[in-house]
Amino acid sequence: MVRARLESLPVIALSAAIGLFLCSLANALSRATLAPSPLIYWVGLLVIALPIFFRLTATRPTCRERLALVLLLGLALYCVKVVHDSIYFTFPDEFVHAFNVHNIEKYNHLYHFNPAIPTSPYYPGLEGATSALTMLTGASTYVAGTILVGVARLTFMAALFFLFARLSGSARGAGLGVAVYTGTTNFLFWGAQFSYESLSLPLLVVVLMAFAERDAAPPRERSAWAVPIVLGILAISITHHLTSYALALVFVALAVLYRAMKVERPNPWPFALLSVGVALGWLLIAARSTTGYLFPVFEEAVKAIWNTATGESAPRTLFHQASTAAETVASTPLPARGVALLAVAVLGVGALVGLRQVWRHERERPLVLLFCAGAIAFFAALTLRFAPAAWETGNRAGGYFFIGLAFVCIYGGAELLHRGQRPMRRRLLLTGALGIVLVGGAISGWPWDIQLTRPLQATANGGEIDSESLALGEFARKHLDGSRFAAPESDARMLLEPGGQVAFSGQGPDVEDIVDEPELAVWQLPLLERHHLPFVVADRRRISEDTLRGVFFSVPGQYGTESREQGVVHKFTRIPVGRVWNSGHLVLFNLRDRP
Amino acid sequence: MRGHRDLERACAAAVLCALVAALVPWEVVRLVAAPPLTLFLPGYAIVAVAFGSQESALPKRLTLSVGTSLMVLVLSAFVLNIFPLGLRTASWAVLLPVVVIAACMGAALRREPAPPRGAALAMPARPPAGSIALASLAVLIGVAALVLAQKPLPAKNAAGYTALWMLPTDSAEAAVAVGVISNEQDPASYRLKVGLGENQSKAYRVDLDPGEERIYEIDVPREANGRTHVVASLYREERPGLLYRQVTSWLPRKKTFP
Repeated sequence: MVRARLESLPVIALSAAIGLFLCSLANALSRATLAPSPLIYWVGLLVIALPIFFRLTATRPTCRERLALVLLLGLALYCVKVVHDSIYFTFPDEFVHAFNVHNIEKYNHLYHFNPAIPTSPYYPGLEGATSALTMLTGASTYVAGTILVGVARLTFMAALFFLFARLSGSARGAGLGVAVYTGTTNFLFWGAQFSYESLSLPLLVVVLMAFAERDAAPPRERSAWAVPIVLGILAISITHHLTSYALALVFVALAVLYRAMKVERPNPWPFALLSVGVALGWLLIAARSTTGYLFPVFEEAVKAIWNTATGESAPRTLFHQASTAAETVASTPLPARGVALLAVAVLGVGALVGLRQVWRHERERPLVLLFCAGAIAFFAALTLRFAPAAWETGNRAGGYFFIGLAFVCIYGGAELLHRGQRPMRRRLLLTGALGIVLVGGAISGWPWDIQLTRPLQATANGGEIDSESLALGEFARKHLDGSRFAAPESDARMLLEPGGQVAFSGQGPDVEDIVDEPELAVWQLPLLERHHLPFVVADRRRISEDTLRGVFFSVPGQYGTESREQGVVHKFTRIPVGRVWNSGHLVLFNLRDRP
Repeated sequence: MRGHRDLERACAAAVLCALVAALVPWEVVRLVAAPPLTLFLPGYAIVAVAFGSQESALPKRLTLSVGTSLMVLVLSAFVLNIFPLGLRTASWAVLLPVVVIAACMGAALRREPAPPRGAALAMPARPPAGSIALASLAVLIGVAALVLAQKPLPAKNAAGYTALWMLPTDSAEAAVAVGVISNEQDPASYRLKVGLGENQSKAYRVDLDPGEERIYEIDVPREANGRTHVVASLYREERPGLLYRQVTSWLPRKKTFP
């Protein structure tokens, strides 16, 4: 009786809320620069997830209760990302897409230039949808984007549940499959940010769910399911390049498998044709710049794999934090690395057992076979983490392959639950394994030192104070109307949003060297003039090149206090040109203001 | 559409939500009205027209409705962009109800005649008071977690700073605005000195609390050559001899690159 009460949905919801509060508290203490123990955060995460995992392993819950549990899990884990942010976007891609929304509101049309990712305006699905919310509610891009991505996240959880339930024939298995998926490295933070993939991936899962339902429906009911599939293919094609290619690949593979396996149900070749046609059509007609954006990344990845495999370059050190700054970021502690590796091992065991079961019982179903291939590809993609320039490709691809892996793990989990005596012990074991997978994925998916946020805004003596990057962004929003800037990466992000300015950074054009080098080379001023960039941000903080950490307050003793040479500021002072803004580390120059 | 209560209600809700979202000035009210219009009703209507009289489980139908609504939003933005009016509050407030009403009319045509009214759906049993109390407590704690995340907190170890800025006040560039923003941890006093050409200067004492900004508008006299070099310098009150911040401008600006 007591156990039944403890496992009831309201108690589990209360536990999730307490876990979320712990996560919020840990972030709050971190924002207050009180260096809280990361354990508060990790315990919070487990308090959210473990009761849900445990209940999902039970036989009693109805299908609706399981659905409610996975929705609760999705909502609570999404809120973990929300409490990581303050009232501003802080993840690198979020500034880029928020700037696109800002442009849609300003010009009332799509496809306006974005200096950070020039391809992004040509995939305006997320921003167009967000603009509907910003315009109809009057809310900020942050509020509208948070609502939209949250709704997409819940849709993802429900659609994945129904997809797995249809394919496995078990609501219990479906719940466990969704629980496994929360352990993908991108689930907690990357996949929850305001970015186009956060919308396109849920849409992809809705399309797959509709396809699975259509496949199982009686012939006269199949046409109805084609409507969300077609709408989904069209919507994904204008929302995110990689997801549209992944969807096209899935449908092409399914069409081939249906033919090769002589499946009696209708071959999905029309969907394959449509998805390939629309993805290619959009690429060639509207988004040609995508090739220049994606191909170099793939090229670098292939080169890196080759060089690592042939021994020409050293393999990448796992758990080494990617930072553009020269300073060394605190590495992931040994116990955390152990948990992350243990999570991979748990997934490996689950996949091995699951693959055996799937092969025995379900191998005549093409979509199931495709998921098996995805599960195997996930482990192949893990090896890319050893190649320096390929790890991100592997990490991003892993999010897609993980759908297959989560499905296969359902069978691994079922095998554990069904075998032998002591069902309670087995439920506890599976719950623990799911907890390890969740925490391990979170550790692998986000740098250790910023699992907890840093201060962007703070209170002092009754007033509110902003970090230097944020203050510059707010200043630009109030006083400069759509000006063009050259700036280090993190300052450029803040100038995009909330600044609303056209801010260039990085290598194309080579702003990175202009703001990084202490001497004014002969090519620098002509380059700035050629690209019409009169405003230049000189930032003494080396961390300003780091898009994950550079926007926050400097905290003495914490990573990110190393300075560039004074020359990065003085080289513009000596020209001489006008100085518009000076906050110590950051100086904003106007090259069109001179004697 | 007569007799199909859900479709009638969807149409009415779409029109009402659109009117509220487009016309009501209060953001809180619009935040209640806009999400159903954008994130549920279009998908609900399209799923209704696609499935006609086919039965499907409610949770699955709701999931499909929300997923399809997201697709409709994405595609609607693409469609609105084709028209000169583009993406505006008014165009969204017209298009989305039109989609809902058109799809509901199509759904009514595809559905079999509606059952006679009065065959009310069985209401789910009311949950026990204890469950309601626990769920309410969970919501409260969840909201508290979100509120805590939104609230800036004291961060004593964060390095404070003060920013100085200067911009012309108008296109004639006959005056400048000089601003001092304190993002320090404690109240601070400064001396602001603004040099206007070779002979003139103005000085101000600036006392700022954390988060406070003070802006000074200063007329800029023209020098003999028609241009004036304006230099604003900020000194900390306790270290008057040491330049703390400086910004400069030559007015009117040349607006060409060096």
